[in-house]
Amino acid sequence: MAEPIISVQDVSVRFHRSRRHRSIRDLVFRGEGGVRAGEFWGLRHVSFDVQPGEAIGVVGRNGQGKSTLLKTIAGVLIPDEGRAVINGGVAPLIEITGGFVGDLTVRDNIYLAAGLHGMKKKQIKASFDDIVEFAEIEKFVDTPYKHLSSGMKVRVAFSVVSRLDEPIMLVDEVLAVGDRAFREKCFERIDEMLADGRTLFMVSHSEANLTRFCSRGLYLREGKLIKDGPIDKVVEDYFSDSGNEAALRRRHERRMRRMRNLGLLNDGDRDEDDDDDDGQTEGRRVG
Amino acid sequence: MVDSSYTRSPWARTRAIWGARKIFFLLVRRDLKVRYADSVLGYVWTVLDPLLMSLVYWAVFSMLFMRDGVPGDDPYIVFLLAGMLPWQWFNSTVSQGAKALRSSSRLIRSTNLPREIWVLRVVASNAAEYVFALPVLAGFLIAFQVPIHWNMLVTLPLAFLLMCVLLSGIGLALSVLTVLVPDLNRIVAIFLRLFFYASPVLYSTTRLPEEIRWVYVANPVSDLLQLFRAGIFPHYLNWLHVGYAAAVSVLVLALGWWVFARLERTVLKEL
Repeated sequence: MAEPIISVQDVSVRFHRSRRHRSIRDLVFRGEGGVRAGEFWGLRHVSFDVQPGEAIGVVGRNGQGKSTLLKTIAGVLIPDEGRAVINGGVAPLIEITGGFVGDLTVRDNIYLAAGLHGMKKKQIKASFDDIVEFAEIEKFVDTPYKHLSSGMKVRVAFSVVSRLDEPIMLVDEVLAVGDRAFREKCFERIDEMLADGRTLFMVSHSEANLTRFCSRGLYLREGKLIKDGPIDKVVEDYFSDSGNEAALRRRHERRMRRMRNLGLLNDGDRDEDDDDDDGQTEGRRVG
Repeated sequence: MVDSSYTRSPWARTRAIWGARKIFFLLVRRDLKVRYADSVLGYVWTVLDPLLMSLVYWAVFSMLFMRDGVPGDDPYIVFLLAGMLPWQWFNSTVSQGAKALRSSSRLIRSTNLPREIWVLRVVASNAAEYVFALPVLAGFLIAFQVPIHWNMLVTLPLAFLLMCVLLSGIGLALSVLTVLVPDLNRIVAIFLRLFFYASPVLYSTTRLPEEIRWVYVANPVSDLLQLFRAGIFPHYLNWLHVGYAAAVSVLVLALGWWVFARLERTVLKEL
């Protein structure tokens, strides 16, 4: 087997439950110990390897470690124990608008944000028109970024980050924003990138998205990786675990789809199937 | 390859920063661009701020308290500016550096650049502002026909370099500490104001009583200010003090970096 592109080895991340901190002196001078009072493990002994080209969906309820895992892979969080070795650049579609400055124009912002993610000036120049066209922002290229609508901001950001020539892409619910047409475009873009042989790492609550893109699933509960297998098996487990409400929702979803297929529903109701899951009715969050 | 394990040697960290140098310069350029993009006067502010401050102090000391003479060298306005510009650099870098990680938290959460960059860029963009403000000083030197000493070729770049080193160290330590202890921001602000009067920006140390001069020698910022002035007022040059300031600066950098490395992981969870 080829060398894994992502290798997560026994990774644990510790979080504080309360605002109070251990004293700074402790942090600096004493190394690390186990979990103290008021702390919990956001991730615990998580290990897995990812081969190039795999598409992985991460499921789990809110606060069970999905985003923590993504951040660890993106390298924006350092694990307390274990290590994550990433053999290649990452295009993080998390917090995508992070690199943008309100006061500068869209044009400046595209150059800056793409540069910040490691694109060379020549590359940016070459793909500048593509980026603008994809974001459908031609008329606003010289408008200050802060004057764009929030949907447009996300469009520009997605357009830039998805243009990065990196072998790994991380997707964390960003697709919940933007209008339907643009979301469809994003999906197509992700499909294209997958066809290119890139590795996808996706967090989603939407069964439709997960099964559409991913082949392998990881199921996190209380920070532990409790299932790692084919996506439909993992999704199945997740939904049957997360109780009545989710099961009902799923049954409802399936019924809607069947009705739509039979032509019983008109187009206006279609929005329901993939975006509503993202918000999640279950607001419980640990930490 | 990115290995996000915790134990990274200083060497690996240095290499990572070097690898991100292009992005670093991009960030510095962006800082300067943002600073000048929205204001009508743009560059003028860089110059105007220290200039006005100096003029105020010049007016106070050379007009109101004329009797005892000015507390610095002649021409006093040149003496003031030569100290005020590096002080402004120090002042704004320390206060911005303390907030460096918090203010760019969105960027930090979306890119895996070596985190030191967010502090170093503050040092660099303020250093650039210092350089941009130098023509004002040159203007006054010409206006008052003050000769400059040849040692400026050595002392000014050296002072510049040491200031960068010292500020990087202070910035690295403060940036992580303020995330964990937000009160520190206030303390830094107060400390800076006191430090301004405790450093020879407005006055020269030559007229101070012998017994307290060692306080100024012990203060590396004070030694650096003297070094910044040495090209115009060569009698301030004391290589022993420079050597001491250099040693302290390097030590501060090492210590600051160490604190930064130790707390980085905890801080990332807080952002």
